[in-house]
Amino acid sequence: MKPTKEELIGIIYESLDEVNEQLPSDQRVQKSPDTILVGRAGRLDSLGFVNFIALVEEKCAHKYGITVSLMEASSSEEAALENVKSFADSFFQRLSDAVPEV
Amino acid sequence: MRGLLISDFNIQNLSSYLKNEPNAPVIDSVTTCYAEVFQTLLDDTAPCWSARPDFVVVWTRPEAVLEEFRKLLDCCSANREDLNGQVDAFSAALRRASKRTQALFVPTWTISPFHQTQGLLDLSANSGIARALMQINVRLLETLDGLPTVHPLWTDKWIQLAGPTAFNQRLWYLGKIRFSNDVFKAATRDLKSALRGLGGRAKKVIILDLDDVLWGGIVGETGWQGVTLGGHDPAGEALVDFQRELKALARRGILLAIVSKNDESIATEAIAKHPEMVLRMDDFAGWRINWRDKAANIVDLMTELNLGLDSAVFVDDSPVERARVREALPQLFVPDWPLDKRLYTEALLSLDCFDSPWLTEEDRQRVRMSAVDRIRKESRDQVSDLEEWLATLKTTVKVEELNRDNLPRAAQLLNKTNQMNLSTRRMSEADFYAWAKAQDRRVWTFRVSDKFGDSGLTGILSLELDGSRARIIDFVLSCRVIGRKIEEAMLSVAIKCAQSAGIREVYANYCQTPKNKPCYAFFQRSGLTYRDESTFVWDSALPYPLYSGIRLVCDGEAAFEETSTDRNQSELITSDHLR
Repeated sequence: MKPTKEELIGIIYESLDEVNEQLPSDQRVQKSPDTILVGRAGRLDSLGFVNFIALVEEKCAHKYGITVSLMEASSSEEAALENVKSFADSFFQRLSDAVPEV
Repeated sequence: MRGLLISDFNIQNLSSYLKNEPNAPVIDSVTTCYAEVFQTLLDDTAPCWSARPDFVVVWTRPEAVLEEFRKLLDCCSANREDLNGQVDAFSAALRRASKRTQALFVPTWTISPFHQTQGLLDLSANSGIARALMQINVRLLETLDGLPTVHPLWTDKWIQLAGPTAFNQRLWYLGKIRFSNDVFKAATRDLKSALRGLGGRAKKVIILDLDDVLWGGIVGETGWQGVTLGGHDPAGEALVDFQRELKALARRGILLAIVSKNDESIATEAIAKHPEMVLRMDDFAGWRINWRDKAANIVDLMTELNLGLDSAVFVDDSPVERARVREALPQLFVPDWPLDKRLYTEALLSLDCFDSPWLTEEDRQRVRMSAVDRIRKESRDQVSDLEEWLATLKTTVKVEELNRDNLPRAAQLLNKTNQMNLSTRRMSEADFYAWAKAQDRRVWTFRVSDKFGDSGLTGILSLELDGSRARIIDFVLSCRVIGRKIEEAMLSVAIKCAQSAGIREVYANYCQTPKNKPCYAFFQRSGLTYRDESTFVWDSALPYPLYSGIRLVCDGEAAFEETSTDRNQSELITSDHLR
C-alpha cells in the first residue's frame, strides 16, 4: 500500500517534530508547506537534513513497507528541496518507483 | 555546564539533545572531530581542553579503538593478550583525560547485532564476538574502578530502550551517526540524571499516596483484608513488585514517606498486618495520614524531615490531587502516573531523578537514621527547654581529618548539602581531596552520635590559613543534625586550630544561595562579629565557647592538636580542654 499525498505530508511533519527536538526553540522548523528546508534560506543544516531524510525514510518503511532512498533523489533534484511542498511532491513521485521493504 | 563529547562516530545528535532537552542542567556541549579519539585523550594541549569542560563523554566503537577486536569482527584470529593490552591502553588514555574534567563518562562498548552472525560461535572461547565484547567491557570497567571522576555508563540499557532500530544503518551511511535518536535520547536522560546527581540535585524523598498506589482499592472501605496486594492477581503482583522497588530505593538512601487521605489507624493497621506488604512503617521516614489538604501535609512533612520541597517526588494515582499539589507546590516534582498498576514499577524506574555517584554507609542507614530522628524529635517535644533537652542527648562529636576513607561521604555531603552550607562549593572527590591536601589548608569531618544512635558523618569544616588570618571555606552540616549545637562545636574546632597555629583572626565569608539562609542565620547568632554584609569574624585570642553538653573526640591526625606528640592516638577533648 502506498501513502496518499496527505499521508506523506503527515510523515514529513512527524519527522520535523523529531528534528525540532534537537533544535533551540527559536530555530525550530515550522510545519508548513512553504517552509524552506535547506540552502541559504533553509532551516536545516546538513546534519539536520540527514536526520530529517533518515526519519522520513524510516517512517515510510515502517508504516507502508516501502524502501525509498531520498538522499539520492534530493542531491539530483535541487528543486525538490525548495520547500516542504515540493519535497512532498518529489517524494510522492519517487514512491511510484519504490520497492517494498524486505 | 560545559560538556565535551569525544567519539569515533558522529555524536552531534547527542550534543543537540543535551543542549535542547528542557530538563536541568543547562548544557553547552561541543564535539571533537570523530577520527581523533586517542589524540584528543592523550594531548593535554588540544584546543578542546582549553576551556576546562565540566564533563566529558568518551563514546567509542570497540572495533574502532581496539585493532584486535576489529580482527574478530572480520573472522580473523586475534591475540587475546594484545586485545587486553589495547583495552588497557585505552583505559590509560581515559585515566589521563579524567584529570582535565570533573566527570568523565564512558558508555560501555556495544556492537550492532548485524555483527553477531556466528550463531553458536558467538560465545565460543576462541573467536566468539559476543564473549570477547563482554570480556573487554569487564576489563575496561575493572581498570577504571577506583577512579572517582570516571563514570562508566551502561549502553546496552539505551539500546534495549530504543528497540530493534537502535543501530540505524540509514543514519550510519548518510552521516556516520552510529545510533538512532532514541538511543541518544536515552543517553541524554541518563547523562543529565548523572550530572544532577553529581551536582547534589538528586531527589531525596518519595512521598507516596496509599490507596491505589501501595495497594489496590480503598482500605477505609474494605479493611486491609479487602485491598488488592499480592496473590494470584496481575495488579496485586505488580504492586508487590512496586513496593520491592521502593524498598530497593530506600536501601540506596532515598527516603520514603506517606501523604494520604485516610484514617491513620486504619492505614497503619493495613501496613502492619497485610501479609504481602513489603513496606512496613519502619521503612517510612515520616507520614501524614489524615483528611487535610495534601499540599499542606507535604509542606508539614518536609519541614519535619528538614528537607526542601525541591528534593521530593510526590506519587499519587489521582490526577486531581496531582494537579492540586503541582499548583500549590511548583518546586515539588509530581510525575504523571499510569492508571494501570502493572506499569507502576516502570513509571518509578523511569523517573531519572535519584541518580547518585555514591552509595555510602550513611545512605544505607538513612532510613534507620530517620526513624531515630523521629524518636529524637518526639523526645524534644516532651521537654520545654531546648538546653535541657540537648543535655539529655549525651551528644558525641568525633572529629577526623579528611582522609581516603571518609572522602566519599565527605564529598557527597559537600555536593548534596544546601541549607547549612557556607560556600556551597561543588567539587569532585578528587578535586576536593587535592584541594584539602595543600599545605595551608585543614579539612575535618564531623561524625555525630547521641544516646538515640549514630547520625553518621554529617559535617565538614575547612580552613585556609593565610598569615595571621584563617578563613573558613566550607562549613557544611547535614540538616539531620542542625540545631543541636554541632555548629558551635565545629566553630570551636576551627578556632582551636587557629590558636594552635598562631592565627590572630578567623573569618567566614557567607556566599548566599537560594537555599542556605539557615547558615546565615546561624552565623548571625554564633557570636562572631558581623563585619560587613557577608563576613563574620572571631578574634582567636579568645576561646570559642563549646556547649558543655557535647563531648568532642579528636581521632587520629586531627590537626588542631598540632603540638601533641600523641597525635596518632585517639583523644578525648572535653569542653574544658577547649576553654
